[in-house]
Amino acid sequence: MFEARLHQSSFLLKILEAIKELLNEATFQCTQNGIQLQAMDTSHVSLISLFLSQGGFDNYKCDRNISLGINLSSMLKIMKCAGSDDILTIKNHEEPDSITFIFESQSYDKVSNYQLRLMNLEHEHLDIPETDYACVMKMPSSEFARIFKMLLQFGETVEISCSKEGVKFSTSGDLGSANIKLAPNNTTDSDKAVFIEIQEPVVATFAIRYLTLFAKATPLALRVQLSLMPDSPLLVEYQIGDKGHLKYYLAPKVDD
Amino acid sequence: MGILGLSKLIADAAPHAIKESEIKSYFGRKVAIDASMSLYQFLIAVRSEGQQLVSADGETTSHLMGTFYRTIRLIENGIKPVFVFDGKPPQLKSGELEKRAERREEAQKELDKATEAGDATLMDKFNRRLVKVEKKHANECKELLKLMGVPYVEAPCEAEAQCAALVRAGKVFASATEDMDALTFGTSVLLRHLTFSEARKMPIQEFHLDKVLEGLGMNQAEFIDLCILLGCDYCPSIRGVGPKRAIELLQKHKTIENLLEKLDKSKYQIPEDWGYQEARKLFLNPEVADPNTIELKWGEPDENGLVEYLCGDRNFSEERVRNGAKKLAKAKGGSTQGRLDGFFTVLSTTPAKRKAEDKKKNPAKKSKGNSSFKGKPK
Repeated sequence: MFEARLHQSSFLLKILEAIKELLNEATFQCTQNGIQLQAMDTSHVSLISLFLSQGGFDNYKCDRNISLGINLSSMLKIMKCAGSDDILTIKNHEEPDSITFIFESQSYDKVSNYQLRLMNLEHEHLDIPETDYACVMKMPSSEFARIFKMLLQFGETVEISCSKEGVKFSTSGDLGSANIKLAPNNTTDSDKAVFIEIQEPVVATFAIRYLTLFAKATPLALRVQLSLMPDSPLLVEYQIGDKGHLKYYLAPKVDD
Repeated sequence: MGILGLSKLIADAAPHAIKESEIKSYFGRKVAIDASMSLYQFLIAVRSEGQQLVSADGETTSHLMGTFYRTIRLIENGIKPVFVFDGKPPQLKSGELEKRAERREEAQKELDKATEAGDATLMDKFNRRLVKVEKKHANECKELLKLMGVPYVEAPCEAEAQCAALVRAGKVFASATEDMDALTFGTSVLLRHLTFSEARKMPIQEFHLDKVLEGLGMNQAEFIDLCILLGCDYCPSIRGVGPKRAIELLQKHKTIENLLEKLDKSKYQIPEDWGYQEARKLFLNPEVADPNTIELKWGEPDENGLVEYLCGDRNFSEERVRNGAKKLAKAKGGSTQGRLDGFFTVLSTTPAKRKAEDKKKNPAKKSKGNSSFKGKPK
């Protein structure tokens, strides 16, 4: 049996908002340690790897490993039925083919109950090699979101170049071009600081649209970490407190 | 006509070998397209009020219309197509070709009858049956592809075989054809419905040869024998041995030779001078150009050349052709998006469980193949 309880149902809503643009349906794998999801978008350009630790739930029980195949837009519909500070309980036991969402208002005077039918999905498990990235930067997640929102107005492809001096994002299109440079700063406010660790300079290009979709995870974490390697996928990582993490990988653009 | 009933058999015996996906998922993939098959589709399907499109002097242009716009659609979706044209038909196909000619004659007779009776629906039906891809159509398309900057390959013999060779050599990701015998020729991935019109909303079917073989519990040689038993273009099959029997017999006896020894000759009639060995040889070692000598290059479209070629006598709208050329140039420009598949390897696949109840939930996944489209008659 599987049962998980969250005092703030809005947390799960934020998670869904952060992945629904890339995935239509996904398999959530529930184990003793927590809930895991790993999936590529249909065009196999990006990959989402989500982990929600059991410690992040207010109550978590999972006595055997189960896979829940879920249509994300249906799940989103259910999550939107909840009040923002409702208490959520997710259950899968009596009926193995469906999953139940129970929302209780904080004062326990209203209880709503939704059942979602599970799907049978093919699931590919990918091996993501441990990589020693040449360049790792950390910045406020809101800054990351703003940069790519702006760049999207100018072009489709961003060139990210990192060096000791800082990191430069540049794009160009019909309108003209845009360049944004971030230098590492020594602010004492650790939420606002920009850190860059460099072993060797990297220049790589990526599709801006995907980066703006990754930025949908902004409400989940104050900080974001970007890791780059020449000719390798970009890793964009949101650490969700001690509740888990959400990682996005993006394949680079290549010249023929 | 490909292999009789093979797609249905695969759907039943090896359902995991078939995946359905959108055109988007083939982003960044190179695909070899069986040109004769797609030309035939275009001649049949690209019509206005039931009539083929024609130029000012009455020459058909349906194939050019189809090749132009549907290739643009593929390229806009990030696919890199290469067209493969048929060469001379193999000697073994003469029997099949005769049959097709006969059918065409019959259709002509029926058409004459329908014309006399003035039955428009029947006229339309038989008109379509008379459609034949001619050398001229193929040559015009090659000319067009050159202007579009899309590469093409002239196969010495069967186009499906050449496509399969390109896939096996790693030059392209998949063969796109409706003919299931691309699998018999050994293509590792076969795509169906790739060149269908967008309006039909037909999902693309992806067949994986390794999973087909796994599902059937056979190796490639046994699979080829199975296809021969099912009915291929190159020799007759045994009357009375249907798909079910064919699988059973081959799983038990492994080769047609062994099976012939055991088969009850009084019950089944083996065709006279049965050329199954030649057919097998053709599937195993088809006449193809060495894929390593073929260089595939996607170039810039020649906008003015396209306008000159398609507008004027051929009656294409200049504005639309220029737009199309711009789309091609845009898709070509800049760098191409890579895929993650190259970086991460699949550790394991958990297939969707096929339980009785999900049949109701998910009928689309169980599609038995599209039997209404039977492939090209020549």
